[in-house]
Amino acid sequence: MIELKGVAVDYFVQRHGFRSIKSYITSFGSKRLLERKRILHDIDLSIGRGECFGIIGRNGSGKSTLLRLLAGILEPTEGTADIRGRVAPMLALGVGLEPELSGWENVHLCRLLMGHDASSQPRVKAYVRSFSGLSDEELAMQVKRYSTGMMARLGFAIATATDPEVLLIDEVLAVGDVAFQQKCYERIGELKRNGCTIIFVTHFLSEIQRICDRAACMELGTIVKVGSTHEVGLYYHGILGISA
Amino acid sequence: MTRSALPIASTRLTKANWPVVRAVAWRNVRLRYKSSLLGFVWTLLNPLLFLLIFLLIFSEAFPQVPNYPVFALSGLIFWSFFATTSAHIMGALVENSAVLRSLAVPPMVFPLGQLLAGLFNLCMSFIPFALILHLFGREPHITDLLVIPVVLCYAAFVMGISVALAALNVYFRDIGILWNALLPAFFYVTPIAYPADLIPDRLRWIVELNPLYHFIAAFRTVLVEGMMPRSEAWLVLLGLAVLASLLGSWLYRMLRPGFIANY
Repeated sequence: MIELKGVAVDYFVQRHGFRSIKSYITSFGSKRLLERKRILHDIDLSIGRGECFGIIGRNGSGKSTLLRLLAGILEPTEGTADIRGRVAPMLALGVGLEPELSGWENVHLCRLLMGHDASSQPRVKAYVRSFSGLSDEELAMQVKRYSTGMMARLGFAIATATDPEVLLIDEVLAVGDVAFQQKCYERIGELKRNGCTIIFVTHFLSEIQRICDRAACMELGTIVKVGSTHEVGLYYHGILGISA
Repeated sequence: MTRSALPIASTRLTKANWPVVRAVAWRNVRLRYKSSLLGFVWTLLNPLLFLLIFLLIFSEAFPQVPNYPVFALSGLIFWSFFATTSAHIMGALVENSAVLRSLAVPPMVFPLGQLLAGLFNLCMSFIPFALILHLFGREPHITDLLVIPVVLCYAAFVMGISVALAALNVYFRDIGILWNALLPAFFYVTPIAYPADLIPDRLRWIVELNPLYHFIAAFRTVLVEGMMPRSEAWLVLLGLAVLASLLGSWLYRMLRPGFIANY
């Protein structure tokens, strides 16, 4: 269950260039070196358990920031965010993979980085082996020798190894071939049937309509429309100026 | 397995993060000599190689130092911990920005992982050092164990300074460039390759102001002379460790809210 109430997120952005440092120093610190920028504002969102929720919007509309907030990477500057359940963030595939280490070593390291303990190791190993389709020999190989596709398969396998309660996906399925995407969608469907809440961010309406129950459209740092995937799709096309 | 209504901030370091810190530290240890033929042996060889260079250049220069190799090696071990660990910790946040931007890992995991990797390598370099001490006929002594509190104070000092640098480096990459330029200067200013009493009395205050001097002096008192540092020396070490830690944690806390937008 996810409940966001009046959430706003500010970023502190450096004002670029030497000039800003100079004026900072000559003002003896009275001028601010970092600028506060509001990235998200007035976000109210409630997503039920087991729901598959799509988020669509243009570049820079705040989709990824919202996902970071849900993943616990960011704290709201204002408002409250209540997220219950184990969150598996997939904001980028293969993040945390260390090229010099072997596949198995990376499984261990990445699982820990994702906040899992090492106790479920044997089950995770079996799952990684079957989902990624990588042979034992390949999994013992340094990841730097992997192809992009192999890396994506390993990354997805690591992220979805134990059934998460909330799965966050940020346009990561664009990589990989059709067969890989197919496999990912199957796994997402399976997680959904097991009661996992899924939040899916993308530019592509068709993907949202394919797997989501409900959706939201973001624009300029806030949610401008929540509804069925059809309604939100029409709205999004309206923003883009495309007639459906 | 439902997590109770937590505030969303799971990015503060807690005890539960220890396995991650350990895994990251181990990764760092592995990566340092990865893909090299001798691998781990370099940890042992590196100080010896440096020692050789030192002996060729400086051994005639400081005839007043008894056992110059032991003197030089103690300084080198000490120095290389500072130089490599501070540089690694300083870059730890920026280098792991991809992970920090997409996973809810406390950022402090990465500087800590570098500190532990540095400490591990320091412990390893004590092996060739002990060997050389033995070759020069020095018997092991119970006061040798005092190296542990000295190293702990030193580690806290290095960590404090480097975390402050790491936090600033997120915003201004100039810090990293500047630090790498300054490191050699610190090396020459600190009595590492030469004895401290070589410095004329009127410049003595510069040495006293240099925090590294106090650490290396205590280090040598314990390991080279086999004596116990005086209580004033302990107080200075402890004070420096506490001051640096306060500085590091203060800057880190202050700058952390802006990390995510500036990695």
